Amino acid sequence: MADLPPPVQGPTAKEKKYDRQLRLWGTTGQAALENSHILLINSGPGVVGLETLKNLVLPGIGNFTIQDSAVVSEADLGVNFFLEEEHLGGFRAERTCALLKELNPDVQGNFITEPIEPFLNKPNALDPYTLVIVAAPIQPALLMKLSAHADASLIPIFYVHSVGFYSHFSIHLPPTFPIVDTHPDPETISDLRLLKPWKELLDFATEKTNGLDTMDHEDHGHVPYIALLLHFLEEWKKGHDGQVPQNYKEKTAFRDIVSKAARTNNAEGGEENFDEAVAAVLKSLNPPEPAGSVRDIFKTKECLALSAESASFWVIAHAIRLFYTKYGVLPLPGSVPDMKARSADYIQLQNVYKSKARKDLAEVVESVRFLERSLKRSTPIEEKDVEAFCKNAAHIKLVRGRPFHVVQASESLKWGDRAKSIAQTLAFPDSLIPLYIAFLAWDEYVATHAKDALGGVPKVPGETDVETDTEKVTGVAIKFLNDLVKEAAAHIEEDELYIIKAQTGEFAQELVRAGGAELHNISALTGGLVSQEVIKVITEQYVPVDNTCIFDGVKSRSAVIRV
Amino acid sequence: MAEVASSSVLNVLEGPRAKWKYLDNILGREGPFTDPEWEPGQPVFEGLERAKVLVIGAGGLGCEILKNLALSGFKDIHVIDMDTIDISNLNRQFLFRHADVGKYKAEVAAKFVEKRVKGVKITPYCGRIQDKDDEYYMQFAMIVCGLDSIEARRWINATLVGLVDEENPDSMKPLIDGGTEGFKGQARVIFPTMTSCIECQLDMHAPRAAVPLCTLATIPRQPQHCIEWAHIIAWEEERKDITLDTDDPEHITWLYQKALKRAEEFSIPGVTYSMTQGVVKNIIPAIASTNAIVAASCCNEAFKIATNANPFLGFPETENYMMYTGDESIYTYTFEHQKKPDCPVCNPNALARPLHVDGNSTLQDFLDGLAERPESQLKKPAIRTEAKSLYYQFPPSLEEQTRPNLSKKLNELVESGEEVAITDPAFPLQFKYKLIFK
Amino acid sequence: MLKIWSMKQQQDEAAQAGTKKKKVTAAQLRVQKDLHELSLGSTMRTTFPNPDDILNFTLTIEPDEGMYKGGSFVFDFKINQNFPHDPPKVKCTQKIYHPNIDLEGNVCLNILREDWKPVLNLNAVIVGLQFLFLEPNASDPLNKEAAEDLKQNREGFKRNVRASLGGGTVRGQSFDRVLK
Repeated sequence: MADLPPPVQGPTAKEKKYDRQLRLWGTTGQAALENSHILLINSGPGVVGLETLKNLVLPGIGNFTIQDSAVVSEADLGVNFFLEEEHLGGFRAERTCALLKELNPDVQGNFITEPIEPFLNKPNALDPYTLVIVAAPIQPALLMKLSAHADASLIPIFYVHSVGFYSHFSIHLPPTFPIVDTHPDPETISDLRLLKPWKELLDFATEKTNGLDTMDHEDHGHVPYIALLLHFLEEWKKGHDGQVPQNYKEKTAFRDIVSKAARTNNAEGGEENFDEAVAAVLKSLNPPEPAGSVRDIFKTKECLALSAESASFWVIAHAIRLFYTKYGVLPLPGSVPDMKARSADYIQLQNVYKSKARKDLAEVVESVRFLERSLKRSTPIEEKDVEAFCKNAAHIKLVRGRPFHVVQASESLKWGDRAKSIAQTLAFPDSLIPLYIAFLAWDEYVATHAKDALGGVPKVPGETDVETDTEKVTGVAIKFLNDLVKEAAAHIEEDELYIIKAQTGEFAQELVRAGGAELHNISALTGGLVSQEVIKVITEQYVPVDNTCIFDGVKSRSAVIRV
Repeated sequence: MAEVASSSVLNVLEGPRAKWKYLDNILGREGPFTDPEWEPGQPVFEGLERAKVLVIGAGGLGCEILKNLALSGFKDIHVIDMDTIDISNLNRQFLFRHADVGKYKAEVAAKFVEKRVKGVKITPYCGRIQDKDDEYYMQFAMIVCGLDSIEARRWINATLVGLVDEENPDSMKPLIDGGTEGFKGQARVIFPTMTSCIECQLDMHAPRAAVPLCTLATIPRQPQHCIEWAHIIAWEEERKDITLDTDDPEHITWLYQKALKRAEEFSIPGVTYSMTQGVVKNIIPAIASTNAIVAASCCNEAFKIATNANPFLGFPETENYMMYTGDESIYTYTFEHQKKPDCPVCNPNALARPLHVDGNSTLQDFLDGLAERPESQLKKPAIRTEAKSLYYQFPPSLEEQTRPNLSKKLNELVESGEEVAITDPAFPLQFKYKLIFK
Repeated sequence: MLKIWSMKQQQDEAAQAGTKKKKVTAAQLRVQKDLHELSLGSTMRTTFPNPDDILNFTLTIEPDEGMYKGGSFVFDFKINQNFPHDPPKVKCTQKIYHPNIDLEGNVCLNILREDWKPVLNLNAVIVGLQFLFLEPNASDPLNKEAAEDLKQNREGFKRNVRASLGGGTVRGQSFDRVLK
């Protein structure tokens, strides 16, 4: 019994349940999910929205609400997993809400059976929600209203189609949507500063490479490769007017020098630390220049012109810009990759990087505090937020959210500043822009056809007369296509344009074939995509789609375009 | 009985396929990409209902696959899984509830989907895929896999390749395979012997990164090194007689404490309980959304193969593999993975050919005869069945042990119809025969 | 589906029976091929406790030169069905005094762990094992005491090896007698 270890605070029940996802977005991401309230405005067969919610209820969003005035019909039972036979004739919102709630007792679910128009007309109807998902079909006037709400309240709106074998979704994000925790590929995150070493790092290298040539095999084989590279860089500089290797040719020459310095007369016939040094030359001997996208953030007006109301992101970005202007580098992230080394040497090296990172952080924090004082901001920015920013400064992303297309009856479609770039990619083989255009034409049909005179339930193409509707939708799609080419003033060869039009026609035909039907697989797949993007947007982690994604289930391909 | 009666009343009122209204729009209408010879309507409905599908795995992907197939109009589904439900499954395996923890996944999943989607029959088997024989696999029209084990994938792949009989079109079972890891995943379609198989694609699975044992023993640098040391070295030194159970919290706690102590000795920060669990159990992050995407992609292909409602992945010389990445925006890459001409499982020589032999002849006679066969011309063959080493020329100890078999009659060593595999140092490939006694 | 089938050329005759029979597994086949390529020489031999099971066997190494000459070292090979994706599991069955083999029989050989690749074969593994007895390696050892001895005093290390092979005690640790 004496051997038994003292009790450990094991994982809680919640940590156990969410273990596999906490390993991705951590407790802060999870807390963000738990504080969210998602509204689904459901319509059509109504599957894609529910499949999306399923993948959000499971990982534990705080709250969801389903608005849906439809009544459960026999056809629902063949496509919707969250309905049962006994629900026939009941409200779809109520029944699906109940079955979704079963998936996770920690999630609150609500439903609204009031039709969408009166619901949206109530003042402050959208106030409780932190994110809205809208399933097509929907009347354009209502979609416009939602889009205006997204603009005014900075609430993200997702607009989703799932029609037959095809699907589409667009995200309307706030005009500035910054992400600090982008989870870059671990291979790309090390910033070793070999070309801009500071004193403590150079001292470390000198100490560890002292008497390199006369070291015994054991010591020689354990010098951390960072120290080796710094040592050989100093040697190189002696013969090159104090310059480090400048170009590919010099870098390969430098690499050869390092490679030849490895010992081969030992038991292993080579040295792992030298192998690592050689492999790192081309990758690590680059000036620590931040990526263009990061420098662009420094130049934005939000970053330059701070106010008391600026989001913390911009205050920190401004402070880091000051740091960059002063030193020509970003704050050091402070992480060191694993490498062949003795434990104590590696820990010592790790501490050299960590203390430099802490020093850089302290300087940025000081700037932040100064900015806060001069802007007279009331609540101080938490130091952990500044630290997270410093650690990931080279990989921060800024997404510029914008409205997606809302197709209005008898109004032409505008592509604005995106026209040129979209028209250019039209002619790429396998381009899915023609499919996007076909979806817009499908929306145009919805905008111009109503099931009843009151304009209630939207009518979708292909419900009854496939041939006529195909002709209509194709006609509108071709018109949209021509308008795009015209607006972009793009020059496309006649025969190329012919092919693009034929493709657009095929996409339109396949869309109409569905007659508004959702295929469960396509809706499940799209629900997976949309929920994943919702999670990224809510947690402000990873990089969301900017701003439109299209899936082609005939060829199993996808595309992301900014419209 | 009351239930049956009420549903049939509804059917009368609204037509027998009222439930499938949406599906029938697609199955009842031609599209721009459907084959000109394809006939929509009744024959397609019937074909779909007749197609018996096997689902391997009832976990994250499996739950999705069962739901998707049931709502795609498949009527007869079988599912195999040997696992029981764990609490950490509940964040994505949506057919399971807290009260189901400890029960068999296949059974709970089958029951749930059968209850939810009326008219579908789901037959669970709680056990290993290796428990089942060729006859079992022969009954299915296709197999959809949602597995996390490479070994199980290789097994079912080899089994399905072996099932292919040149004279019987029904013997070629399309294999649709999905896999996920965090925000990444893939869906692929294999027509055994016709297109690139799992074995051809083995290099698509990255091997698990390992750290040298000596680093663990002598120069640990990372918290993971301390955990691996506790796992591989300390446990064996101190608790050799207890089999490590990575699901036993006491065992994980012990490893955690050991790792923590070692990390302190070397001033290594960062060992946590959760990391200990992750390293020791080789935990791969898993989320509902990626599973939904990959499973639905697999089922979309299964549906297209069963109905021909549109072209599917995997048709020879076309794309057969979709790679998915969702952490940075959304990216998919759909391509044709080429068949490997020297694939040890699906190259033409690796397929067992039937060979008619005299069961009363000796193994020596048989091998002499093989040496003369033009396709083999073997010099120093080694030959075995799944169960028995028949004859090995090398190494010497094995030669000595198997030599007595040379003078035995074939019918004492193998059963008629049994497969033998023959390799020879003179050839890079192997030969397989099904020995059929005359 | 039928279209695909019609693309497939009809070859050979049909199999008629035996669908229930188990098939030789991919791992078995690969090991069978690897066995052809083993070059055991005069210093190594294999033993198959069950000759029908080629995935589990032992390898005996009897070095004819170097410090471990005269010893007879037995390694247990366990190969799983995921071979060659997974490396073989190899352990020394005796308690021996060697810097790269610990007292539990774990062996520090790169190709058994971090550097294993499916293109490597069993011969590469046995060559690596053989090499360990010719060139014991003191850097990053599994048995630190043995490595320390080798580094500090090669002659003393040799004497310790001799003592340990005979079943003697080194630094208070007794070893298995492994002389031929």
